[in-house]
Amino acid sequence: MEKEKETAARKRGEMAHRKTSGSKLLMTVLYMVAACSAIPISDLLDRASQRSDTLHSLSATLTQELDSHFPPIGRMIMPRPSMCHTSSLQTPIDKEQALQVSESDLLSLARSLLQAWVDPLVVLSTSANTLPHPAQSNISNKIQELQQHSKNLGDGLDILSGKMGPAAQTISLLPYRGGNDIGQDKISKLTNFHFLLSCFRRDSHKIDSFLKVLRCRAAKMLPEMC
Amino acid sequence: MAVSSSSNLLVLLLLISSLDWLSTPGSTFLMGWDHVTSSAPPEPHFTKCISRDLETFRCWWSPGNFHNLSTPGALRVFYNKKDSPTSEWKECPEYIHSNRECFFDAEHTSVWITYCMQLRSQNVTYFNEDDCFTVENIVRPDPPVSLNWTLLNVSPSGVSYDVMVNWEPPPSADVSLGWMRIEYEIQYRKTNTTNWKALKIQPHTQQTIYGLHIGTEYEVHIRCRMQAFTKFGEFSDPIFILVTEIPSKGHESTFQLTLVFVFGVVGILIVIMIIVVSQQHRLMMILLPPVPAPKIKGIDPELLKKGKLDELNLVLSGGGMGGLSTYAPDFYQDEPWVEFIEVDAENADNGEKEDNQGSDTQRLLGQPQPIIHHMNTGCSNAISFPDDDSGRASCYDPDLPDQDTLMLMATLLPGQPENVEASFDIVERAPAAEGVKQPLVQTQTGEPQTWVNTDFYAQVSNVMPSGGVVLSPGQQLRIQESSESATEEVTQKKEKEHISSEDTDQKKQKELKFQLLVVDPEGSGYTTEGNAWQISTHLSSSMPGEGYQTIHPQPVETRPAATAENNQSPYILPDSPQSQFFTPVADYTVVQEVDSQHSLLLNPPPRQSPPPCLTQHPLKALPAMPVGYITPDLLGNLSP
Repeated sequence: MEKEKETAARKRGEMAHRKTSGSKLLMTVLYMVAACSAIPISDLLDRASQRSDTLHSLSATLTQELDSHFPPIGRMIMPRPSMCHTSSLQTPIDKEQALQVSESDLLSLARSLLQAWVDPLVVLSTSANTLPHPAQSNISNKIQELQQHSKNLGDGLDILSGKMGPAAQTISLLPYRGGNDIGQDKISKLTNFHFLLSCFRRDSHKIDSFLKVLRCRAAKMLPEMC
Repeated sequence: MAVSSSSNLLVLLLLISSLDWLSTPGSTFLMGWDHVTSSAPPEPHFTKCISRDLETFRCWWSPGNFHNLSTPGALRVFYNKKDSPTSEWKECPEYIHSNRECFFDAEHTSVWITYCMQLRSQNVTYFNEDDCFTVENIVRPDPPVSLNWTLLNVSPSGVSYDVMVNWEPPPSADVSLGWMRIEYEIQYRKTNTTNWKALKIQPHTQQTIYGLHIGTEYEVHIRCRMQAFTKFGEFSDPIFILVTEIPSKGHESTFQLTLVFVFGVVGILIVIMIIVVSQQHRLMMILLPPVPAPKIKGIDPELLKKGKLDELNLVLSGGGMGGLSTYAPDFYQDEPWVEFIEVDAENADNGEKEDNQGSDTQRLLGQPQPIIHHMNTGCSNAISFPDDDSGRASCYDPDLPDQDTLMLMATLLPGQPENVEASFDIVERAPAAEGVKQPLVQTQTGEPQTWVNTDFYAQVSNVMPSGGVVLSPGQQLRIQESSESATEEVTQKKEKEHISSEDTDQKKQKELKFQLLVVDPEGSGYTTEGNAWQISTHLSSSMPGEGYQTIHPQPVETRPAATAENNQSPYILPDSPQSQFFTPVADYTVVQEVDSQHSLLLNPPPRQSPPPCLTQHPLKALPAMPVGYITPDLLGNLSP
């Protein structure tokens, strides 16, 4: 009787052991499969650059919309783009420089820029609700879209950076110091709104350019990608 | 309050300055507005600054009204690149005085950085704050190059075609490295018109133009701009597209022919359907002509209609109008094309083809052919006999001569064959006859048959010297054993008692094989051979010794024959006194004579029984016989 119990217990133990080892094996296999079937970088870059395309187009449309109804009366006193909060970031400013910067650095720059706009976009979004502009609802909707796309792109770039080395992981902080309020009166509101938007437009173009350059570099075998 | 007043002042100031600002054309290139203000400012100013490739840019200026400053070198260009808070004004790196142009090369060009431009004369600085820009905002790419087109396809109708236009990006724009992303706009128009049609802006280097017209020349040009920016470059030189008629006519003509054919057929079908449905009788007559009724010369077709048997009998018996003589009124005056039932006397000779006996029977059988044939073929056309095969061939089913033969046999040879099969065998042994006469003849050349008690058949009681045949029922006839020879003899037998209902003792007589000649004067056609065949087979299964049995022809388009219990003869005996003579032959119609028009004259037979020698002149009048013509519907009324 006892012997039988012993054998039964041993058998059970063996089975359990087999089970755990089997499950480990299964996990290993799954992990390997997942690793092997990872999306290639070029594909990720392609998606990212498409998103940045959208982002930039949106910002351009938004600027146009703002300008269409609101002639830039106050442009002469508008703060210069050099006063954007992201101007301190050292980025390539022409093609030569852009071609010399490494891919990881380019990606890091793009990510930093994107990160720097998370807060200001929130400010823009809240101010859009009370913007004294004829197309206020459209602008408000587009700002929200902008936020959404920006977040998507940021997530994508985070994934991408994970595959491109440590340099891509670093993000320069560019805090926004404009506060939550963009102005009290109508003029200042519109002016500040316009200024912020033009800064964003410049930065979205930067991000788009960097990512496109990255994509073309990564797709050397596929010239049609560029 | 003070704050509000100061803010109001500020607003006022702004408004004033804005007016001033708006008038400066120098800022137009910053705004994305492509129009030039109507009034040029008087002082020296910049007219435009443009970058073609995002790597260099140029600025042009104008001295304005200050013509003394128009000399080269009088005005100097300064720029301030605001890449740092401590930037300063620098002079134009490269002058092109002939153009009043300042060129900034790649070293001096920085993207995403604000440039401000200034014009300085000796001691005056002409500066407009709004003449500041970033390079990416002033980019107007060069037009694309290598614009050409290829024909994609031509529509099946051959009227329009599609074209694929392709081009190369401007060489100055560095698209391969992704530095510039360009989107293109194609515009086209018919040559010498004014309105350009623009296609959708898209970033690829090819585009399809749909729906161009054959034979029309088109003009196409293209321009491009940076993606998500507003400033287009110049248009390229136009190219011309012209596609003339495609020589492959077969393709489109086939297509058109097919269309025409299909529509034509459909249209005709629709018209016919409408005509049929609307029941326009006149049109229906043309499209679907009805089967004509039997047309017997001298007989009013009205008589042949249902229910008018008495009159018909009268007429046929010769009463009133003298019978079917040539003097009979022409009831078919309006139908000159009518051909009447005719009997061709010369056809009697054909009966001797197979069997050259020249017996009376043959001739006898040869003569009534018109009736039987007429009835048997089921053709709607009246048949004229002089031509053997023509006219009949179309109505003639080659399979049916046998049945035809049987019909003839049955009708003219009273008596009863051993069995129908035997008779059929005889019939089948007969070679496919081109005429009824042949098989008719050959039926007699067969096994010996005993025709017993064939009440149903017209028994030939007499053969007239004139060639007519006296048909009488109720007379026993036996076909002679001379089977080879055409032993005719329409044997008359058929006692009258067979006609009566108490014919049960006739059982020993072979099964009555008779066939009812179902005549439908309504004109829907005569019993076809098929019907006759069926009638005979039907009969074969009928009770023997039952006396007359009528057969219902299938399909029953004609009125069904009387029931099998009908013991009376299928032919109604007229009540005319002449019928007395014919008590024994009350059932049958006697063919009296065939007149010149080859129509059958049914008359009572003469008293005497002439020798069965048929003369060569069968056109003598037969004695009138009271005969009745029974129609199938009347058979039902006959009481046993």
